[in-house]
Amino acid sequence: MNIENLQQLTQFQIDEQPHIVVDKEICKTCDHRACVQSCPANCYTWDEETRLLSIVYETCLECGTCYVICDKGALDWNYPRGGYGVCYRLT
Amino acid sequence: MAKYYDVIIAGAGPAGSMAALKLARAGLNVCLVERGKYPGAKNMFGGLLHNTPVLNEMLPGFRERAPVERHVYKKVLAFMTPESAVSLTFENERFEQPPYNGYTVFRPVFDSWLADEAVKEGALLLTDCTAEDLLRKDGRIAGITVNGREGKLRGNIVIAADGVLSFMAEKAGLRKNFKPKSMGVGIKLLLGLPEETINERFHLVRDEGADISFVGTTGGIRGGSFLYTNRESISVGMVVHLDSLKASGKAPYEVMDELLQHPQVRKLVKGAVPLEYSAHLIPEGGIRAMPKVYTDGMMVAGDAAGLCYTNGINLEGINLAMTSGVLAAETAIKAIEAGDYSARSLSLYKKKLDESFIIKDMKTFKNAAGMMHSDRLFQTYPRVLAGIMEKLYRVEGTPRSKLLRLARKEAMKEVGLKGLVADGIKIGRALL
Repeated sequence: MNIENLQQLTQFQIDEQPHIVVDKEICKTCDHRACVQSCPANCYTWDEETRLLSIVYETCLECGTCYVICDKGALDWNYPRGGYGVCYRLT
Repeated sequence: MAKYYDVIIAGAGPAGSMAALKLARAGLNVCLVERGKYPGAKNMFGGLLHNTPVLNEMLPGFRERAPVERHVYKKVLAFMTPESAVSLTFENERFEQPPYNGYTVFRPVFDSWLADEAVKEGALLLTDCTAEDLLRKDGRIAGITVNGREGKLRGNIVIAADGVLSFMAEKAGLRKNFKPKSMGVGIKLLLGLPEETINERFHLVRDEGADISFVGTTGGIRGGSFLYTNRESISVGMVVHLDSLKASGKAPYEVMDELLQHPQVRKLVKGAVPLEYSAHLIPEGGIRAMPKVYTDGMMVAGDAAGLCYTNGINLEGINLAMTSGVLAAETAIKAIEAGDYSARSLSLYKKKLDESFIIKDMKTFKNAAGMMHSDRLFQTYPRVLAGIMEKLYRVEGTPRSKLLRLARKEAMKEVGLKGLVADGIKIGRALL
């Protein structure tokens, strides 16, 4: 499956206010950045040049994998406001 | 609208809705809070709703009324290597008669239906409301705050059925951090196929369904893959341990792609149209990873309470969740009758859990969580098995060995004596 097509498969009610905030300073010093590889929705990207971790919270499946595997305390992770976020139809 | 409730339930999943149904039937004023647009909008599982006696008791004729896809008739356990599959198929005519052993269901559809049953009995369902924090009064939990339409919801008892990442249980001080070693992540791709194609491909008729578990298709990560048949779609996915996923440095969807590309699986999914992709965590730490399930003014049910176990053959959670919801509701009814919402009063819930199949099964398989952390189970042993089968069947004009010698040679080659003994003890302690 092509994860880039996620938005065509799964529905999201996108909130303008992010439900996950990363502390980019902490991520700079992280020795594994496991969130980048482990996220089932490929929400995280590490840019080696700028040394910045970025997140696309809009296609987050709210599984919490990143939150549980981050051992640096870099994530302020919350569920989206009521009604927002992923909206499964059939799964 | 009354802002004071007898019971407030966070989460309209299987545990929360069953609790709401029980409480509403007892005539209590119950508020069921759901963060999705509708119940099930945030919920995902592999696909199998296990036979749950309490569901049949509470909703007689459930089978006829509930939106289920197929009943599971055929169980397949398949050990895979990149080029081969050794499978064990179990078909049973007794799985063809009610009460069926399990059904494939779509969670957004099923969970909405179940919550609606509670609403019909008088429960108030508030969707679009994320439980955010706990309200306390006189030293006990006495409500929740929600992020959404309402603000504060006050009541006598809170039932936290807010799922695997239960922030309610955490805020109540009932659990510690969520740890990668006691969590699995499930990902799933729903694939559309015509009903006739599914029936032909999986040798099914009418409402019969198949449940296939694959071992050895998770790219060396501890876990397993699955395929369930729905009426006009199949659910394909995998569950992997978070610590092992993290160590592998692999992306879950890439590992699932390998499964979909496996020569034997490719034939099963050929021509299927991707319909939806989903992911969810699973509490896989077993009984040792369970939080405390009650405190003053609050009880925890379902995934939030870590009520889930796997022993490699069974993976049960939804049936435990629904049963725990009812037990929490029974406890709440007694507590409200007595006007006592203290931890002491609510400890009855733990007693009920302990006496039910839930904790009994979790205790029986208390060593299974440890066994499931043996890496060799997921790659090496499928390879040993496939190696034995290939040598058994291959004809090439060279002298053969007897079965035992053949098996011993394959196992020694892949695992070694020390490993075999260690694994034997681990598996024995977990399952035998």
